[in-house]
Amino acid sequence: MLEKFINAGRLKSPWIMHFDCGSCNGCDIEVLACLTPLYDIERFGIINVGNPKHADVLLVTGTVNHRNKHVLKNLYDQMPDPKAVIAIGACGLSGGVFREAYNVVGGVDKVIPVDVYVPGCPSRPEAIIDGVVEALERVKVKLGLAG
Amino acid sequence: MIGKLVFALVATALAPVLGGLISGVDRRITAWLQSRYGPPVLQPFYDVLKLLGKRPMATNIWQVLCAYVYLSAAAVSVFLFFLQTDLLLIFFTLTVGAVFLVMGALASPSPYSQIGGQRELLQMLAYEPLLILVFVAIAMTTGSFKISAVFAMDKPLLYSLPLIFVVLGYALTIKLRKSPFDISTCHHAHQELVRGVLTEYSGPYLAALEIAHWFEVVLMLSICALFWATSVWGMLILVALTYFVEILVDNVMARMTWKWMLRSVLGVGLVLSVLNMLWLYAN
Amino acid sequence: MLDTLVFMVVVVPFLVAGLLYVVRPDGVRKLIVSAMALVLIGSALALLAQGPFLMAVPAAVNELVVLLDFLLLFLILVYSYKWKSRLAVWLTLFQIAALAWLDFGLADHGKAGPAIMADHLSLIMLLVINIVGSFIAIYALGYMKVHEEELALAKSRQPRFFFFFILFFGAMNGLVLSNNLDWMYFFWEITTFCCVMLIAHDHTEIALKNATRALWMNVLGGATFVSGLILIQKVAGTMFLTDLFAMGPMGAGGGALLIPLFLLVFTGFTKSAQPPFESWLCGAMVAPTPVSALLHSSTMVKAGVYMVLRLAPLYAGTFLSSFIAVFGAFCFVATAALAVGQSNGKKVLAYSTISNLALIICCAGLNTPASITAAILLIIFHAVSKGLLFMCVGTIEQKIHSRDIEDMRGLYGVMPKTAVIAIIGVVTMMLPPFGMLLAKWMAVESAMGQFLVIALMAAGSALTVLFWARWAGALLSAPFDAERPEKLPFSVRMPHVVLASLAVLLSVGAPFVYYGLAEPVVAMYYHAQAFTMQYGSFVSSTGMFVVYPLFILLGLGLIFALRAAGRVTPSEIAAPYMCGAQTTVDGKAAFTGPMRTPVVSVSGNYYLDALFGEKKLSHLANSVAIVLLIIMLGGVL
Ligand code: SF4
Repeated sequence: MLEKFINAGRLKSPWIMHFDCGSCNGCDIEVLACLTPLYDIERFGIINVGNPKHADVLLVTGTVNHRNKHVLKNLYDQMPDPKAVIAIGACGLSGGVFREAYNVVGGVDKVIPVDVYVPGCPSRPEAIIDGVVEALERVKVKLGLAG
Repeated sequence: MIGKLVFALVATALAPVLGGLISGVDRRITAWLQSRYGPPVLQPFYDVLKLLGKRPMATNIWQVLCAYVYLSAAAVSVFLFFLQTDLLLIFFTLTVGAVFLVMGALASPSPYSQIGGQRELLQMLAYEPLLILVFVAIAMTTGSFKISAVFAMDKPLLYSLPLIFVVLGYALTIKLRKSPFDISTCHHAHQELVRGVLTEYSGPYLAALEIAHWFEVVLMLSICALFWATSVWGMLILVALTYFVEILVDNVMARMTWKWMLRSVLGVGLVLSVLNMLWLYAN
Repeated sequence: MLDTLVFMVVVVPFLVAGLLYVVRPDGVRKLIVSAMALVLIGSALALLAQGPFLMAVPAAVNELVVLLDFLLLFLILVYSYKWKSRLAVWLTLFQIAALAWLDFGLADHGKAGPAIMADHLSLIMLLVINIVGSFIAIYALGYMKVHEEELALAKSRQPRFFFFFILFFGAMNGLVLSNNLDWMYFFWEITTFCCVMLIAHDHTEIALKNATRALWMNVLGGATFVSGLILIQKVAGTMFLTDLFAMGPMGAGGGALLIPLFLLVFTGFTKSAQPPFESWLCGAMVAPTPVSALLHSSTMVKAGVYMVLRLAPLYAGTFLSSFIAVFGAFCFVATAALAVGQSNGKKVLAYSTISNLALIICCAGLNTPASITAAILLIIFHAVSKGLLFMCVGTIEQKIHSRDIEDMRGLYGVMPKTAVIAIIGVVTMMLPPFGMLLAKWMAVESAMGQFLVIALMAAGSALTVLFWARWAGALLSAPFDAERPEKLPFSVRMPHVVLASLAVLLSVGAPFVYYGLAEPVVAMYYHAQAFTMQYGSFVSSTGMFVVYPLFILLGLGLIFALRAAGRVTPSEIAAPYMCGAQTTVDGKAAFTGPMRTPVVSVSGNYYLDALFGEKKLSHLANSVAIVLLIIMLGGVL
């Protein structure tokens, strides 16, 4: 019974944390655009939190490099389960235009498991919101609620 | 006696539900003021349920202890309120919760929760004298600190204590963690505080703190309601109006500094209470 | 039986003190002090069971006291001269002259009366002095050993230390049992002398300086004391408290008695280190910590408030009374604010003591049944918790070699047991359902109607919460796994545990404390009852304090919280959020800085120096206090 309620809560309250891993700020601006009245992601119960300990979904923009890969890993580790990761933009997916640079590791999935990939350069806010909704579907599957 | 006890128990059990609903409505109205649509009214409950389902994580056991003592103290103070006991006693019980919240924040080595804890202490320094003054003013009007004495009045307290009600408003703003006084924890101050006193709490512990906050919201609003204790509708309208003003203030004000808070809250609070008491004596 | 008991509590400490001065082996000293502690506690309890009494003494004893009094004054004169305090020299000379006039010129020697009296107030004081004090004396045994090891003295100075330490008990017991004000003055001067000697104990430059300051301030009190006595003798024609009480409030000579009463109350202020005299008590912390524990909890400063409280029925309903209330309330706020600005743990404790004493004085000034009850409960509960906290700070200091609150961060990792005991001490000082808060509640409710007093009280109690809460928080901030066994000698650990349990148990038994101790005093003063008990709650016409329900509910909450905390497994313990760049250095949380070098994160309390800095604020507090005292004096004249 309580488990059912809790699962309902899990699907209706994805708190996101945005981590700029090495983005050109293009994708960051689009992520923040989601919070504006035009897109108003709070409709879905999404809150942008500043702390991995409160977050359910990690939004990562930009490429991963050798310096910030530790930070990315630490942030991921400090998120309590259940959790999901969304990689945003061409950079987050694969390293994008920076992938050949000497210090770049590549996409987010080189360091932590990624659940949803949102392409674009930059990704559109609609796509990002779609990504979060998709991530919830993945959580559903993980919780065994899909179907 | 038994009837009173049962009533108080039921009221205490319902208080978090009410508190959650108030918080949901608050988020809707805030969204409306910002030309947004806002989350469902039940959103706070979803949030808390989700938090309850998360894997526990803490920096040390003291934090956990403090969080639950805070929750218990908040619940006990609501219980004592609906038992219609002594206002000052309720205030002191409320302090237990506040102190343990701070101790929990200071127990973690995180710099963000440390700053949050210190600021929370300053907030307490600002609202505690005001609340005592409000209670004393009520007691001086009714002749007793007992809440039952308020209900025995035949005229609403607001007539004799209008300025004291404003003073209560200041304390309320701090207690509800609304701008301009949301300096110890806040959803919006990521760069400055991360989440202040709540930074190191997560999952079920954060949920406990959220529920404790709902208790406190209900308690504070009930104290507001005392100012129109002669009729139920009067209470409801007064509380609704007060809360709307709180939301409005929250939306039009920026977060200020603790110095400004101490100066303005204590200064204005003291002047207003003295004026009101002088006026009361003059009558 | 009765004379034996009185002999036990008053004279025996003097004899034991003399014995300790000549005995050098540690073991024997331990034995003597422990035995004396048992005797004192037993006698105090027996006297309580005995109930109030009056006792006459042979005239020879009276003459002995007079003789000793002069000897003592000459001794004080010698020390004033030695320490080059001109002020103290003149004040002592004045006292000698005044006393000579009083004893040989004014006093009516034909009129003998019972020199010793114990009413319920005296009995309460006896309990506080002998029970709390005895445990501190036992603590001193263990503490002084380490203290002298640290100083690496060639020859132990413990005999001297314990001589004055134990002398204190006899002097305090005599003071609270005196009916003859002349006797009370004698014992009063002994406490001054012992206190000053103990402050100077370590013979450092700062110790001597602070002892000199304590000397002149207390000698000033002595001078006003003896002046008050002369006036009382002139106006009322008696030196016996019982006679004065029999005359009722202001019975003799109408307003004329107010002047001596003011002088005596002022004497109490000096002893209780109220502004503008607070600096002597703050300076007293240079002495070994057991001295501070003793001075602050059960002796010395409590003598001051005892005086104010003792005289309360005499000035009831006068201008003086309401002014004492305002003065007390002001000092309560001012010294609480001073405590906020301090990071030195002992100084915080010192200011908090002064602040609580001020609250007691304020309650005495309010002079209602409820406020007197509050004052008595404050004396009892404050003694236990403050004695405990001072012992904790002393123990902590011997381990971490600092008394600064900032250095006590993470103390739980270093000394888990002491940290928890210290937190119990702090919590019993500031939170309900414990006795201090019960008393504070009574104080605020009894001040209803006096808006100025209550506004000051409100501000003061908010400040109090501020400085206690952050201290408790600092003690807790520890890494989870650092729990190490902590070894302390029995004579140090036992008093900690006993006083901590006492602090909690007395609060649980608050209704019994009220009925057994406080209520008889109020009945004696006012022939009225302040509170009745219903459903385990204190009920008065203005409010109710639910003791047992609150204990049960908050106790359940604590158990619930303890269980939740107990369920936390080590795997759930995570590093704090450090922006994803967390690392540790020796178990301390740190950021990963440039070039992967760790940067330890340092945090400290806000001491708000600009607002609560000692320099500025104490000037302000002292000036306002002086103005208030002058107005008070003007009023009684
Ligand atoms: S994907 Fe494009 S917009 Fe986004 S961070 Fe990379 S380069 Fe910038």
